[in-house]
Amino acid sequence: MGDAVLTQFFSGFSLVAILIIAALGLAVIFGVAGVINMAHGEFIMVGAYVASVVQSGLGGNTFWSIPICFVAVGLLGLVVERTVIRGLYDRPLETLLATWGVSLILIVIIKMIFGTELHYVGSPEMLQGGFPAPGNLPFPWYRLFLILLSILLLVLTFVLFFRTKFGLAVRAVRRNRSMSEAMGINTARVDMLIFAYGSGLAGVAGAVLAPIKTVSPTMGFPYAVDSFMVLVMGGVGNLLGVPVGAAIIGEGETILAFLFNSVIGKLLVFLLIVLVIRIVPRGIFGYQERTLGHRR
Amino acid sequence: MKINRRRFLKTAALASATTAAFPYFYTQKFAKADESDEIKVGILHSLSGTIAIIERSLHNAELMAIEEINAAGGVMGGKKLVPVVEDPQSVVRVFRQKAKKLLLQDKVVAVLGCYTSASRQSVLPEFENNNGILLYPTLYEAQECSYNCFYTGAVPNQQLDDFAPWVIDKFGPRHYLIGANYIYPKETNREWKALLDNHGGETVAEEYAPLGHTEFATNINKIASLQPDVVFSTLVGDQIVAFYKQFKQFGITAEDIPICTPITTEQEIKGMGPEYALGHYTSFNYFQSVDSPENAEFVARYKATYGEDEVTNAVMEAAYFQTYFLAQALDQTGTTDADALITEGLPGQEFQAPQGKVKIDEKNHHTYLWARIGQAREDGQFDIVWKSEDWIRPDPWVDLLYPDKDCDFTDQRVIDRIKSGDRDRSGTIDI
Repeated sequence: MGDAVLTQFFSGFSLVAILIIAALGLAVIFGVAGVINMAHGEFIMVGAYVASVVQSGLGGNTFWSIPICFVAVGLLGLVVERTVIRGLYDRPLETLLATWGVSLILIVIIKMIFGTELHYVGSPEMLQGGFPAPGNLPFPWYRLFLILLSILLLVLTFVLFFRTKFGLAVRAVRRNRSMSEAMGINTARVDMLIFAYGSGLAGVAGAVLAPIKTVSPTMGFPYAVDSFMVLVMGGVGNLLGVPVGAAIIGEGETILAFLFNSVIGKLLVFLLIVLVIRIVPRGIFGYQERTLGHRR
Repeated sequence: MKINRRRFLKTAALASATTAAFPYFYTQKFAKADESDEIKVGILHSLSGTIAIIERSLHNAELMAIEEINAAGGVMGGKKLVPVVEDPQSVVRVFRQKAKKLLLQDKVVAVLGCYTSASRQSVLPEFENNNGILLYPTLYEAQECSYNCFYTGAVPNQQLDDFAPWVIDKFGPRHYLIGANYIYPKETNREWKALLDNHGGETVAEEYAPLGHTEFATNINKIASLQPDVVFSTLVGDQIVAFYKQFKQFGITAEDIPICTPITTEQEIKGMGPEYALGHYTSFNYFQSVDSPENAEFVARYKATYGEDEVTNAVMEAAYFQTYFLAQALDQTGTTDADALITEGLPGQEFQAPQGKVKIDEKNHHTYLWARIGQAREDGQFDIVWKSEDWIRPDPWVDLLYPDKDCDFTDQRVIDRIKSGDRDRSGTIDI
């Protein structure tokens, strides 16, 4: 029994990592540009398909597909931002609908190109198998890789936001858009680049999730739901909310699923989220900010 | 214009009268279709939406069968079968609308269609109210039989009755049951547990995952700590792919604990990559690797028509041979009259299908099929490790769970009830 609990704890970490990887892109876009990107799940899906092309067409493994997916889906995000989102920044409801439309279009396009059947993406040779871990199951190398990657992505994003000039501009725009504009920051460019960066992160999520899950045109939706849940739990506007929200949901779900079963585990986590929204509507790390000139 | 109560009633009455007369006009217009040299057959499978993945292959198999039948001279002395294709978009409500359209507007002689139980149950009332014929190719949980439906896929007794003792005998009695959280897996597990009881097995745990749930680390951990002899899986769709992948990634192989299932086909294995399914077992009537001249031809023609990469599976094989059942029934009765086809044409119809000779049961509208157990190999195909000695009688009310129920359309009580125009058109009786 003790062994099983240990294993459970470790596999919970890998779920937390999966949630972080999936939600980070959404958090960046929502937190800075204030756009709720309903197509986030489909961006992940496109990333997974790009990964399958990289594998079957170019013979590259996941290490290759991570940068390629980042660039490809980042560019896709750039195009979507320029053509669809740009004109809608002051109208949140319309961006919701527009990005949802984008998600439907992406599903149909992918179906036209790749058909509806499931696609196969393998994990890299060197990450197959597992290493002996405390507990009763070997821990898969690939899941350890996911955990490390999620930490790396978080650190990179923190560095980008807090240690670069671009990050300074991003934070300024977040706090006070018109003042930033007055100071000479090109806010439109910041929005565009942040949208592309967030989309690129979704692409990376698709690339690394494909080997453990399914690749199909409709795979994105559950990830979008999970990502939104993480944001609601952790709170938007603070990057720390992502790992904390993911940790609560991920570990909570695995532990509850172990104690009861997956159905009840999911149910209890949903209940917990409802409770959190009821008590702290802005999420654990959300805060009331001065929103002078912030686009709403 | 002010709408008062009287005007509203008048308009409403007029509108409903027009609507009521509408089918009549159609009947007039299309009544002569019977005398032409074409016979319309409805094809009702989703070509878009979430279940299009599998339903498109059924659609393809049926169109291919129709083409073959027409090329061989058609039916009823030279008449051609003309497919009328509708796309219900994976939406249950649309299934019903399209079924109604096929029956009333196109006046098709029969519809080949549906995949999920939900879609079948939504269209059945249309077939019963309009006395149409539905041929349904999917394996399903059974426990129903409608006068207006013929079921050509497997029912649980045909996939499980021989599978359970074989598995217990070969791997051991302790089974861990995992399934998707809806009716088919739950009913299948009920039957499996009853079989385990009968053959000295035991259920160490029974767990369900919500549809769309693809994270199985917790379940795999439980499996590792419970150490069952066998994992019996009724997961569906993309869950299958995720579960097999994660099972192997956590270091459990088919030699340690085999996954046994009545669901995973060549299609899912193609989606996960053969190395993940390697060594695990599936019970089905048909595999692409079945060694028969009919199957060699079926697979070759399917690949030639729809692409070399395509794989065939059990449900599309049923979709294929049920089209032949219909053609033979039309030939034999020489009429497109629904009652004649339902009572004389289709029951007892035999066909040399890719899986072997199959037959529609004379009494219960289900189909005699063969049972096979396949072990997945490196190329994504199955090695057939066991095959039934004879075809297996379909039993929609499994004796093990429902000893006092049966389905019999030749029973006088059922015949009388259906002749009397009763709304209940099922063939279920108490015995």
